Amino acid sequence: MNEKLDAILKNGLEEIEKCTDLKALDEVRVRFLGKQGELTAILRNMKEIPPEERKNVGMKANTIREKLENALSEKTNKMEEEKLLADMAKEKIDITMPSKGVKKGALHPLTRFNNKFMDICVEMGFTVIQGPEIDTDYYNFEALNVPKNHPARDMQDSLYITDNILMRTQTSNMQVHAMETIKPPFKIVCPGRVYRNDDDSSHSPIFNQFEALVVDENIGLKDLMKMIDTILKRLFGEDVKMRVRPSYFPFTEPSIEIDATCQICKGKGCSLCKGSGFSEVFGAGVVNPKVLEMSGIDSKKYSGFAFGPGIDRSVMITNRIPNIKYLFRNDIRFLKQMR
Amino acid sequence: MKISYNWLKDFVKINIPAEELANKLSVSGFEVEEVIHMNEHLHDVYVGKITKIEKHPEADKLQICQVDVGNKQVQIITSATNVFEGAVVPVSLEGADLANGVKIKPTAFRGVKSEGMFCSGEELGIDENYIEGAGINGILILPSSMRAGEKIEDALMLNDVVFDINVTPNRPDCNSVIGIAREVCAIYDLEFTDVDYSYKATGDDVKKYINVEVKTDKCPRYMASFVKDLKIERSPLWLRSRLFSVGIKPINTIVDITNYVLIEQGQPMHAFEYKHLAGKKIIVRQAKDGEQIKVLNGNSYSLSHDDMVIADSEKPVVIAGVIGGVNSCVEEGTKETVFECAVFDLKSVRLTSRKFGLATDSSLRYSKGVYLSTPINAIKRALNLVCTLKCGTIVGGLIDTCKEKYTPRTVKASLKKIDKILGIEIDRKRIFQILNSLGIKSTINGDTIICSLPYTREDIECENDLAEELIRIYGYDVYNNIEGGAFENSSVTIGAYEPRLVMENEMKKELVDNGFYETLNYSLYSSTACEKLLIEDERKIVIKLANPISEDLSTVRTVMAHALLLDIKYNLSVGNKNLRFFETGRIYLPKALPLTELPVENNRLSIAVCEDGYDFFMLKNVMENLLLSTSCEYKIERSTEPYLHSGVSADIFAKDGKKVGWFGKIHKKILKNYDINHDVYYAELDTDYLASLPEKKFAVKELSKFPAVERDIAVVVDEEVTNKELISAIKSACGKHFDGVELFDVYRSEQLGENKKSLAYKIRLISEEKTLTTEEINAIINKVLRSLEFRYRAKLRV
Repeated sequence: MNEKLDAILKNGLEEIEKCTDLKALDEVRVRFLGKQGELTAILRNMKEIPPEERKNVGMKANTIREKLENALSEKTNKMEEEKLLADMAKEKIDITMPSKGVKKGALHPLTRFNNKFMDICVEMGFTVIQGPEIDTDYYNFEALNVPKNHPARDMQDSLYITDNILMRTQTSNMQVHAMETIKPPFKIVCPGRVYRNDDDSSHSPIFNQFEALVVDENIGLKDLMKMIDTILKRLFGEDVKMRVRPSYFPFTEPSIEIDATCQICKGKGCSLCKGSGFSEVFGAGVVNPKVLEMSGIDSKKYSGFAFGPGIDRSVMITNRIPNIKYLFRNDIRFLKQMR
Repeated sequence: MKISYNWLKDFVKINIPAEELANKLSVSGFEVEEVIHMNEHLHDVYVGKITKIEKHPEADKLQICQVDVGNKQVQIITSATNVFEGAVVPVSLEGADLANGVKIKPTAFRGVKSEGMFCSGEELGIDENYIEGAGINGILILPSSMRAGEKIEDALMLNDVVFDINVTPNRPDCNSVIGIAREVCAIYDLEFTDVDYSYKATGDDVKKYINVEVKTDKCPRYMASFVKDLKIERSPLWLRSRLFSVGIKPINTIVDITNYVLIEQGQPMHAFEYKHLAGKKIIVRQAKDGEQIKVLNGNSYSLSHDDMVIADSEKPVVIAGVIGGVNSCVEEGTKETVFECAVFDLKSVRLTSRKFGLATDSSLRYSKGVYLSTPINAIKRALNLVCTLKCGTIVGGLIDTCKEKYTPRTVKASLKKIDKILGIEIDRKRIFQILNSLGIKSTINGDTIICSLPYTREDIECENDLAEELIRIYGYDVYNNIEGGAFENSSVTIGAYEPRLVMENEMKKELVDNGFYETLNYSLYSSTACEKLLIEDERKIVIKLANPISEDLSTVRTVMAHALLLDIKYNLSVGNKNLRFFETGRIYLPKALPLTELPVENNRLSIAVCEDGYDFFMLKNVMENLLLSTSCEYKIERSTEPYLHSGVSADIFAKDGKKVGWFGKIHKKILKNYDINHDVYYAELDTDYLASLPEKKFAVKELSKFPAVERDIAVVVDEEVTNKELISAIKSACGKHFDGVELFDVYRSEQLGENKKSLAYKIRLISEEKTLTTEEINAIINKVLRSLEFRYRAKLRV
């Protein structure tokens, strides 16, 4: 009987091993473990075995049954997994085929730059406001300490509507609007369009500026310098260097121009920066007390600073845009490169 | 303003490299835009003397010249015909890189070697005005006195460097060599040495020759002197070289002297032809209305009382500070001259010069400001140059109409306030020293500093001005080296965005995710925009610029669509397809014309699509999603926008009746007007209005515990019946069990009949109390069908 059982185990394991599909495997199961199976037959005929052997034979038969069942389920799992993998292999696709669905568009590079700039300013406590692009001579010039016939008016060729109303030449008009309507202390930043009577290969009659103004007690040049340092680092990276040149704006005193490491040549000198390694980014300065007074702010108590970058040029440099006219031409081949 | 380095050296002993000086000037407030080396193309060019000329044996037109170039003899082949034995000429040798791009290397002509080239004036970058013979089409024959072997840049005095300086409007005193020289002294702490102003005059008296009368308050100072026995000729090379370097054409001794003084002292001068001054009189007065003058540029101008003139006893001879009349100036043959050295009111000169479009060296200078103190030195310097050039006899005495005695202006300031402005403290001794180097004498007493200012520093009025003077010389680098950040001693403020920007950015993101590209267009356009868009309403009332750049940029926009249509046309024209564009921008609506008050500036979002397969409902989806960024409750109606296709467009109305936007297909006529051969869809929203609405609020309904069920129905209705009508009927028939309805199919066929359509709806029903039974559901659907039939004669399609 022992030999018979050993033979069943041996045969069973061999048959299982030979199986190549689930159907064959099931047949093997029926043949050995089914109701009419070889092992079942032995167990069913236990009474024919001498009583003294019965216990051992029974134990052995059950062990063999377990072994065969394990072998069967192992083989089944293996075959099921193989089938799964085979099915999946059939589903293999060319992953280089194009994606489906709507392809994303893009923001204009000026908007991207604006948003970045505004984010930095808002984090630093500035409120973003906007105001009129068509304004009176008073807000655009006079209240900024540029009276009629002042030589500084030559710096900005204006587009006039009437003698007294013009397309603003600078976002600085917002300084006056802010000072008239907001009580200090305040920090504001105003992005917007400005207009000049100027249209050639390197100038656009409409371009974009920012105007930032802080009015508070104890504001001085140091605050301005440190703030601009932070902004430049955020805009152009930690390794940016800044160079300050004294300048002149009627509404700030002292007035400065800020140059930053040329982003094209990284300071080595190129045609864009005329070899200097720097390019101009901001005009800035401490608010002229006359300007504060004209807008009704006590210049003995309060001081302030203002700065205003022209952003078109920075956008061109940071995005390597070869021609300023691209900014307003809206050629989709250009816009697609901004994705 | 061009400033010659050699000229600067007349006033200050300095010898640092030009680029270094340029950089220092830039960081001290005088931006050097360009450094021009006059000798850039003159290296390896020497003075040579031709010692022998032979004919080339192989070529008729060539000559072989032996040339002495100082330390050696070279052989040069030339085809020039104006050379001769003994001629002194410029010779460019190996390595030379001439102004016209020619590079010199030894070569051979038909077997005979040539070690260089003779140069023409043009090849050296100079013309006939600079030196005689430089203008001819041939070799420049130099004066025989020039020494062979000398560098040409030295021989021709072209060994200079010129700085092109951007002088800011607050420093008109620095539109002069002397002004910049003073700054250089302050920057480098060097001593300022003035030039010679002395001259010899006859014992005679200027008043015997000329009488000056000022009859206007716009000429605070008029100085004049008289020079006779004039020798009007070519000025010496050193003087021509100075003028040439700063871009002024040398003319003759007297004119060159006035220009020299202009550049050096910053004082415009005029030299009158004495014999044409009627009545031997100079009268400074306002012009009479309608008075005529013909000036040096050949034009005649009709003057008015606003214009100031210099007149003789009969007529205006000069437009004061702007330009001289014909016959007013010295010229060849002039024997006697009156030098004018005056101060005119800046505004008056500006107005006149603008009015006539006349920008001269003189008017530009006067428009920036000339100081009361400058004429005295200037006129003396001119007379000194007359002596130096030996070009005339100076009559004794000077005419000066200025009675004002100059006393220095003082400014009193607080040092603490200066510290506060700068945010740093500069050592008091250093403050004193910096101011002193700028010609400002100061006394410090505790917190108070009293500054005595030179006449030329009208720009200094308060602490801020002094702070600027101090820091620009002290150096802005100081801020790189101090600790701390911004706003250490000021208030904390909370940053925020303008609500419209927040909303716009959300919309922009939505659009970008939907495949749209953001465009930017000018807010100025052609005056024909409204006409092309068939606009007949108040948007036709447009603001026009008084001084437009061109017709295309003459009108302030009242419509957004124009620019986007042009963008589409442009893109199609260069072969770009599938265009989805959007733009945020303003329209400018005047309340009345001509503009007396500021117009309304209204922010808009506009969208344009030109894409195969795009349709109205795709755009509708975009608009619905955009409006979800707002709290706007709205309804749509057929659009009345004149440039939209009336059958395929909608206007969007807010609950209060305000039209907040529109969308749809562009009218076919408009496409024709813009020459676009493709359907275009367009939409617009009033973002100012939308952003003004209260913030969007949410109130979440409790979710039913029971499952929803869906039933599909299809009904046949007349074409006129709208989806909206059917949906609202379905909704009301379902009552409280309504959980949504969706149109999923539209079908038309011959079987259905003409003017009929079948609409299929998926209706969702739900109860908050129980799971609906089949009977209940059927009852509701039957109610829906009865309602549709009753209201719209809808038949169930089976």
